[in-house]
Amino acid sequence: MKQSNLLGKGRGPLLALLGMASLAASMDASAIPVFARQTGFKCVACHVGGEYPQLTSLGRMFKLTGYTMGDANDIFNLTTNVDRPPVAVMLQTARQFYTNTTPAAGNGTAPSSSFDLQVVSLFAGGHITDNLGAFVQWTWNKYDGNITSGSQYTQSSGIDNTELRWADRIVTPTKDIIYGVYTNNRSTMSDVWNTTENWTSDWIGYFNAGGAQAPGTFMMGATAQHAEVGVGAYGFLNKTWYGELGVYKSITHGPLSFMTGGATGSTGVPLLDPSPYLRLAYNKEWGPNSFEVGLHGMTSYAHNYNPVLNYSDWSGSVSTYRDLGVDAQYQYVLDPHYFSAHFRLTHEAMNNVLGVTNAGGGTPTNPTDTLNETWADVTYIYRAKYGAMLFYHGATGSSDTGLYGMGPTGSPNWQSWMPSVFWAPYQNVRLGYMYTFYTQMGGVSGNQLTGGLGPHDFNTSMLYATIVY
Amino acid sequence: MKHIAKVLTLSAISLALGACSTGLDKSRNLGNPAVSGNTLAQQVCSICHGEVGSNVNGNSVNPTFPNLAGQQKDYLVAEMTEFHEHTRKDPAAQDMMWGIARNFTPKQIEELATYYSKQPTRANPNPVNPALAAEGAKIFNEGNLDKGVPACMGCHGSNAEGNGPIPRLAGQHQDYLYKQLMAFNSDEMVEEKENNNAKDDDLERPHGVAMEGIAHGLDDHQKHAVAAYLQTLK
Repeated sequence: MKQSNLLGKGRGPLLALLGMASLAASMDASAIPVFARQTGFKCVACHVGGEYPQLTSLGRMFKLTGYTMGDANDIFNLTTNVDRPPVAVMLQTARQFYTNTTPAAGNGTAPSSSFDLQVVSLFAGGHITDNLGAFVQWTWNKYDGNITSGSQYTQSSGIDNTELRWADRIVTPTKDIIYGVYTNNRSTMSDVWNTTENWTSDWIGYFNAGGAQAPGTFMMGATAQHAEVGVGAYGFLNKTWYGELGVYKSITHGPLSFMTGGATGSTGVPLLDPSPYLRLAYNKEWGPNSFEVGLHGMTSYAHNYNPVLNYSDWSGSVSTYRDLGVDAQYQYVLDPHYFSAHFRLTHEAMNNVLGVTNAGGGTPTNPTDTLNETWADVTYIYRAKYGAMLFYHGATGSSDTGLYGMGPTGSPNWQSWMPSVFWAPYQNVRLGYMYTFYTQMGGVSGNQLTGGLGPHDFNTSMLYATIVY
Repeated sequence: MKHIAKVLTLSAISLALGACSTGLDKSRNLGNPAVSGNTLAQQVCSICHGEVGSNVNGNSVNPTFPNLAGQQKDYLVAEMTEFHEHTRKDPAAQDMMWGIARNFTPKQIEELATYYSKQPTRANPNPVNPALAAEGAKIFNEGNLDKGVPACMGCHGSNAEGNGPIPRLAGQHQDYLYKQLMAFNSDEMVEEKENNNAKDDDLERPHGVAMEGIAHGLDDHQKHAVAAYLQTLK
């Protein structure tokens, strides 16, 4: 008690910093997370310039071969890895700054006065058998609820990205064939190019209101809740042609429901009937360059709200979201220079049920709507230590006052830019600053939003420190 | 009870999938001494030291990773042993090969070295600056005698084919060769500081003593030039 009195209000960030400092001091070169312990690689081997989650060619192959490459001690054909525990932790501490100091929907979920530990993720996984591997993530968020809707934030914890994957690779002098099957809890989690929502680098600004009022497509947005379980199969031929088919369904009962633990049966979380997922890609690598261009698609059948329960429920009617998009990635990986660029454009056609609140909490006024969501980013990293990134995120589509209430016309048109810089003094530690500019919201760029606000009123910035160990 | 049911179901799924194992000949387990060098070459090494259309020939696409095809077997054994023992410490070695080789057995190293030394060589497809390569050819054939650098061909062979523990350099990636010259150069500077009594632990490539003074006798431009020329050799 005495100690906390002494430290007073600053104890949260102080303790976080002390913890980080002691962790950093105790690190040696090989003390890094799950897959690094298994392979003995440094981060930079599988992540572009060490910038997770962006995967290098080696990182893609590691994932596609089922997280199995590396050391494993077989006991009854199952791995224990007793000498290198297959677990890891990620801590993120941050402080947010908001332009708009008057609480309004659209600010980030973290209070602007805080500088504290905001995210803790635990990881487990790796080689289970020579063909079977896993990626398991559990996450605690300090500020999950929207503080602007009340005086209190809400914490949350639950299963995050989780996948079990079986893969085989056939290599001959002229052929390289990888094929496999997986089960995971989010569509696009299986992907190895960093163009789709689950694996773009903006995750770090989760509480930074980086997506304030963003009207996302169902495929990239709504399924982010890990409220579904999917099974899929894929093949990768000669490191060139990639194809994948999957199907996702919400699971609320039974043994597989642990994969959606804490994520179904609540406001804003969609319940899905079986919904197909498609991925095709062409990959080319030459010298230090690699390039990918592909198609991604999903048709989601999502149950609308049950008016009594006030959340998506099996008894609710079904809205359909047909998403199809193109995406591309370019990478240059040759120390000391690391560069990457990503692009995606996803077109969505919605079939709504009029007058019924949909799984996302909106009540559409049109029987059909369309939405085009665009994402682009560039990253440059020098010596795997100093980095700069710029993200662009935008949407255009048909106006629907029931779905997009922020602007005067129900327009979903929206644009944001997110520049950031970071420094990684050790491979496990990243310190960064990220700014988010909003240039369009609700179809307007001036002060015509609800309450006389303009998009720029939602600009935010964030100082952060992330540790993985 | 529910949790027990979950655990049992998961265990059953894992065991069922585990039973679908494709066997040791397709294993990517670097901790199992029973996996052969040939299997490792196919399943693991080929990811970086392989190219599309000919995945297992030991030639690499990204210049971070050296070409291994036709490399001198003795040299391959020496390097893999150094990676295994963590004595070779240039940055890329630490980033990747320390992990790859940490459990290699002498038998696996022997098999891998035999395998790659027997792969057919090929012309490096990446372009170089011809003027730079011409300068490099002169240094390779005649040395840089003002700075005490002998002709490279004296030890590495007239076509840089190598000999036993002296590596083949022909067709090697320019960027890789330059970075190795920089590693030897850095070791020479450590040696100078320590009056030629530097400990192996302080050197990036302690077994490359013969190259230290040579690398130091070439300026940055000359290092690039020699590396460019070597990449053009077949």
